[in-house]
Amino acid sequence: MRVWVDADKCQGHTLCAMAAGEVFVLSDVDGHASARSDTVPPELEAKVRLAAGSCPEQAIVIEA
Amino acid sequence: MTDTVPGRAEVHFDRHTPEYRHQFEAVTAEMQKCPVAWSDTYGGHWVISDHKSVFDLARDPSLLSTDKDVHGVRKGYVGVGIPSNPYVVAGFLEMDPPGQKDYRTALNPYLSPAAVARWAPMVIDVTRACLDEKIESGRIDFVDDLANIVPAVMTMALMGLPIADWTIYNEPAHATIYTPPDSPDMPRVMQQFLQMVASLAAALEQSAADPKPGLVSALLNAEIDGAKASTEDLINVLVLLVVGGFDTTTALTAGSLNWLSQNPAERARLAADLPGLINSATEEFLRYVTPAPGDGRTVTADCVYAGQRLKEGDRLWLSWAMANRDPEVFPDPHTIKLDRQMNRHTTFGLGVHRCIGSNVARAIFKVMLSAVLERMPDFVCDPAGAVHYPTIGVINGMQHLPATFTPGKRLGDDLAPTIAKWQERCDRERLADPITRADR
Repeated sequence: MRVWVDADKCQGHTLCAMAAGEVFVLSDVDGHASARSDTVPPELEAKVRLAAGSCPEQAIVIEA
Repeated sequence: MTDTVPGRAEVHFDRHTPEYRHQFEAVTAEMQKCPVAWSDTYGGHWVISDHKSVFDLARDPSLLSTDKDVHGVRKGYVGVGIPSNPYVVAGFLEMDPPGQKDYRTALNPYLSPAAVARWAPMVIDVTRACLDEKIESGRIDFVDDLANIVPAVMTMALMGLPIADWTIYNEPAHATIYTPPDSPDMPRVMQQFLQMVASLAAALEQSAADPKPGLVSALLNAEIDGAKASTEDLINVLVLLVVGGFDTTTALTAGSLNWLSQNPAERARLAADLPGLINSATEEFLRYVTPAPGDGRTVTADCVYAGQRLKEGDRLWLSWAMANRDPEVFPDPHTIKLDRQMNRHTTFGLGVHRCIGSNVARAIFKVMLSAVLERMPDFVCDPAGAVHYPTIGVINGMQHLPATFTPGKRLGDDLAPTIAKWQERCDRERLADPITRADR
């Protein structure tokens, strides 16, 4: 699984980091999210799906 | 009166009536049968009530404007209020990008998750002091004695204003929201509001002469559209920060504690697993309460959406509260599920106007909720003493929420000495400085 955050859509709601803090990191300055790495280890795939489903702006892109 | 347009879906929707509060679930279900519809109320406006339409429309700044053109130099749009308040501009909430973005860029480094986390010790200590003042008596008003105080103290501290001055702003910040326009008390409330504006103007002047870290200094230094903002614009932003910072988190806290009192088994489950449930429970209370139930917009271009013809200049209401009860996105939407997953609620708004204080709200709500559950776990709210805002047209809040509980032991000082202690630390350690990348 590959994942990234669409920076044009992310508004810094922070729910992805709540759901999968191992994968998503928030900017100290504005709280907008990015993926620590675009490759998701298999054991975190379920959490990443939850994170994507919780994003109010639907800014998380997953490629299976 | 509004002309009837052939093919236009029409409803009668008046969110400023007490009936809307009392019959919120039934009205929501009715409205969602026709989720993009024209209402004849307040000069006529669209009402958007399902999640998909709110999601699509709120995120398109090329289609909707929040601009409030009080000086008549742009298109004469009237901002986010329906009806529009002709006297006050709600700072950058009633502005469009790029100027709106300039304000947010200036303020974000004070309000990001990392910036807010630095305040946790103060929030915990102030919350502790609020509960200490009541813990031995077995009686508390969760609004007056806790939920009004902590958000207000935090807002003052973030702004870089004297923290003890929260008392100056407390009553007007709430009363302006909950007092009905036709109330005999309105002249007194407006007088208080004007005093609040005058106090903020004086604070701005004071900050310019003797800069202190915080949001006020950030505003004074900010470049907006390539220039310094006018004093009028800055005062409008300060009013937005005070009203937005004070009343909304109060409403969230009151609504949540009231529900927990009515659902003691769920309260016990939450108290028994706070680390496991606090995040999902907080999002669920945010969804269910939706302290700010919606925002108005002005349509900027003729378009067709959901089979309806929206015209440039039309007014439009985005209902965050009704979108949050859409069964397509939230199964069993009128039930609070403390462990709800994929809770993509619209409570902080969607798109470029996402509530800039959302990280503050979450952080202080979690501290207040945790402290109450730890120290007053058997609290019972008194329905006879609970006072809801008469309507939820602006904020879904409570004015009073008295409760009783088994008395406990105090842990430290009262509120006043606690605030004095934190004022000193705040000044000495420059706690209200912005966060920078180098801090990590």
